Amino acid sequence: MEDLAEAAIAHAVRLGAEFADLRMESAVGTNIVVMDGRTKSLTALRESGCGIRAFMGGAWGFAVTNSLTKGGLKEAASSAVGMAKVAQAKAKTKFRIGEIRPVKANEKYPCKERPSDVAMEDKVRFVLALDKDMSRKDARVTSTNAKYDDAEIARVVANSFGTLVRSDEVWTIGACSAFARSDGVMQRGHAAFGSVGGYELMRTNDAVGLGDEAASQALRLLDSKPVPAGKFTVVLDNKMTGMLAHEAFGHACEADAIVSGSSVLEGLLGKKVADERISLVDDPKVENTFGYFSIDWEGVRAKKHVLIENGVLRGYMHNIETSSRMGVEPNGASRAQSYSGTPIIRMSNTYIGNGDRSKDEIISDLMDGLLIQGAQYGYVEPAKGQFMFKCDEAHRIKKGEVGERYRDASISGLILEVLNNVVAVGSDFMLGDPGYCGKSGQSARTTDGGPHLCLSNMVVGGLA
Amino acid sequence: MADLAELARKTVDMVMKLGPSDCDVFASDSRFVTAEIEKGSMKQSSAANDPGVGIRVFVRGCSGYSFCTGFNPATVRQVARAAVAQARAGTEDPDFKGLPKREAIPRMDGLYDPKIAKLQPDDIVEAAIQLADIAGNDKRVTSVNASAAVGIGEAVLANSNGILASQKMTGFELSAEAVARSDESMFSGVDGGWSRRFEPEMSAGVGKNALEHAIMGLKSAKMETGDFPVILDPLAAGFVLGMAVGGGVNAESIQRKRSYLTDQLGKTIGSELFSVTDDPTLRWATGSYSFDGEGVAAKRRKIVDRGVLKSFMYDSYTAGKEGRKSTGNSSRGGSVWSYRRPPSISPSNLVIASGDSSVEEMIRETREGVYLRLTYDYPNLVTGEFSGLMMESYRIAKGELGPSIRQATVGMHLIDMYKNVDMVGKSPRFVFGVKTPALRVSKAKIGGSR
Repeated sequence: MEDLAEAAIAHAVRLGAEFADLRMESAVGTNIVVMDGRTKSLTALRESGCGIRAFMGGAWGFAVTNSLTKGGLKEAASSAVGMAKVAQAKAKTKFRIGEIRPVKANEKYPCKERPSDVAMEDKVRFVLALDKDMSRKDARVTSTNAKYDDAEIARVVANSFGTLVRSDEVWTIGACSAFARSDGVMQRGHAAFGSVGGYELMRTNDAVGLGDEAASQALRLLDSKPVPAGKFTVVLDNKMTGMLAHEAFGHACEADAIVSGSSVLEGLLGKKVADERISLVDDPKVENTFGYFSIDWEGVRAKKHVLIENGVLRGYMHNIETSSRMGVEPNGASRAQSYSGTPIIRMSNTYIGNGDRSKDEIISDLMDGLLIQGAQYGYVEPAKGQFMFKCDEAHRIKKGEVGERYRDASISGLILEVLNNVVAVGSDFMLGDPGYCGKSGQSARTTDGGPHLCLSNMVVGGLA
Repeated sequence: MADLAELARKTVDMVMKLGPSDCDVFASDSRFVTAEIEKGSMKQSSAANDPGVGIRVFVRGCSGYSFCTGFNPATVRQVARAAVAQARAGTEDPDFKGLPKREAIPRMDGLYDPKIAKLQPDDIVEAAIQLADIAGNDKRVTSVNASAAVGIGEAVLANSNGILASQKMTGFELSAEAVARSDESMFSGVDGGWSRRFEPEMSAGVGKNALEHAIMGLKSAKMETGDFPVILDPLAAGFVLGMAVGGGVNAESIQRKRSYLTDQLGKTIGSELFSVTDDPTLRWATGSYSFDGEGVAAKRRKIVDRGVLKSFMYDSYTAGKEGRKSTGNSSRGGSVWSYRRPPSISPSNLVIASGDSSVEEMIRETREGVYLRLTYDYPNLVTGEFSGLMMESYRIAKGELGPSIRQATVGMHLIDMYKNVDMVGKSPRFVFGVKTPALRVSKAKIGGSR
């Protein structure tokens, strides 16, 4: 693959590209879905292809091919340069891609047991067992879903600065959803566990306990009410603090949102944007996480991205283009879902750092508010400065005591206000569940987390 | 271009020799061209070819699926063996009663625009520039991000019951984000357009909407918590109803009692003004097809008729389980189909029946309430509860549209929402796969920050 990659890049440069890069992949993977005790679908994928980018005078051309031959790649390189010429002719903003030091490396993701070496029957048995753990938990669990995914991707990244990186990526993830019914009330519980790594992860207690965790949550929620709507002081658990870090601030710190003029954080570098107890980081190099990588999809070595330090906005996440345009070093935040997508700036493991209060102190100090637990999903529009995230369950806190249980609710806030409304920062840092972040039609594996965090003036969207 | 029909037919024969009871083979060859504008400047032009084959087999009722990129015969054989091995590793499923039988597929117009096949990358670039120029035509707009994209593909489906069907499909999509700033505020207006036809003239409406809403949003207000009537712009109605109705009537969820609409068939779930049809025959709509993802002929079907729930959506598996026929709602995803996933149940194009009110009348008669233009929240399809951020919304006071509301949420039970529809707009838009007018819901819970 490496020889083909270098030849294709050389061809793009010969045709006039000022800069060219590519991602060539060969991937295998498995997806298993079990519903109500039976396998519902079993999928095996086998993909290969290459995406080539050419840059000329402020614009990019991009072409994709599935033909990993010298001829196929040459054709794709020509197409990428042709597309770049079309775009360049109409580009009003001209800029260059500043030269960076090439990286030559072989990156191997940690893996003890390659998923492709594990018999399909063993994987199916594992997923059936997760499913059974849910259904046998309680007669009120009436329907169940258990799921398993793995991927092994051999990727070559090459560019015209001489970078040539070979990555052998492998990850596995298991997930469960349980549906419980009682007296006409229906509720859902879910749990997921996964990371970069091989099938050995699915043999851990974290993985084999997923069914029980999902079923327990569904059963708990049978005894819950819709959350009241309005403005509240909230205590976020570790998972929700992570989602806040990701949605409320992380996306607005992606430098592509800055150069496109669509982030409320544009021009605020070095300014105070949060309470001084807040530090917010995105770090791809945290090992044993779903968001892990050590070299990004442009062949840049990943660095820890310190976004907020003691309340001050310190930096953005960059790709080669934004770092060049903004005059900083690239910090390795660029990723593509597959060879068929252009690399874009993505978060990895995003978290808020520890404070000095215990979870119990935070709760006992709160006279009236909500404890918000378990992250479902969230989204943000950095140009509107608004975000929301949805929890699995919530509890009323009154006079320092945790009381009545509520079910899923959406919590919303304003990017420039939320982290100035900090009441307390916990000291119980923990990374949360694996998840996927969607952006520009591409999905990226991520993890986020933090300590318990108490915030005032959050708007909770409820039905009551 | 490869002879996909021949490839699919021969692959079915080859797969069946490996011993499954049933199989279908989906082959497609697609091409996509995209142009993206960043901050008013042409930024990227892309071209991608995506040929591939997806093979689904059944062994003792258990389904195995595998796919590969390209049409290399040796790889396709490998994929066939992988699919059979997958299915053999699974559990027996007596509920599988077979794949659809061959039937006449009526010829349908409005799926394929030959003009798209002739377009050059420059044409797509021009469409994006035209859109950005319209969206940025105001000095308060400080940035415009926009894109235009076309897709073209041939999709061929063959199965072990003798189905061999093909259809050509095209798609065209525009999206725009205008960012406006004032001394004290920043806001963005977004809009999009979707069609199977190349319609660069959609730019006029999409660009104007993005521009107007960026400016309108600069003036902001907070909202108090309480019950208010809410007018759903077609953009909000399309996003919420696509999932709320489309997901709620999925027969898989109904049979497993995971949907809030379980046990509601034949019952009143909405007001007299609320009717929904699933219509795969809608000309030039991006969800249209002449046959579904399993080869069942497309058919329009009433889902909700004047508030009464009339039908669920079935594929061959869920239909077989109840001894009935598939409703033709098996999807292979997107305006141009993909071989990368096994088929699953999905609406084609949902059509919400239009009424006779103008949006101006709806605002005037609302007096005090909220106009919700945009939310990206998912309803909880198990409980039927919906709560979400009003990403773009406006206060209605004294019958007039006022400032944009910041940091406020909307919540309601979906059945209450359908039952409380008391005014329906007369000008529908096709957004997020749903053709819908504006709808007024007489009561929803607004969570505000005031």
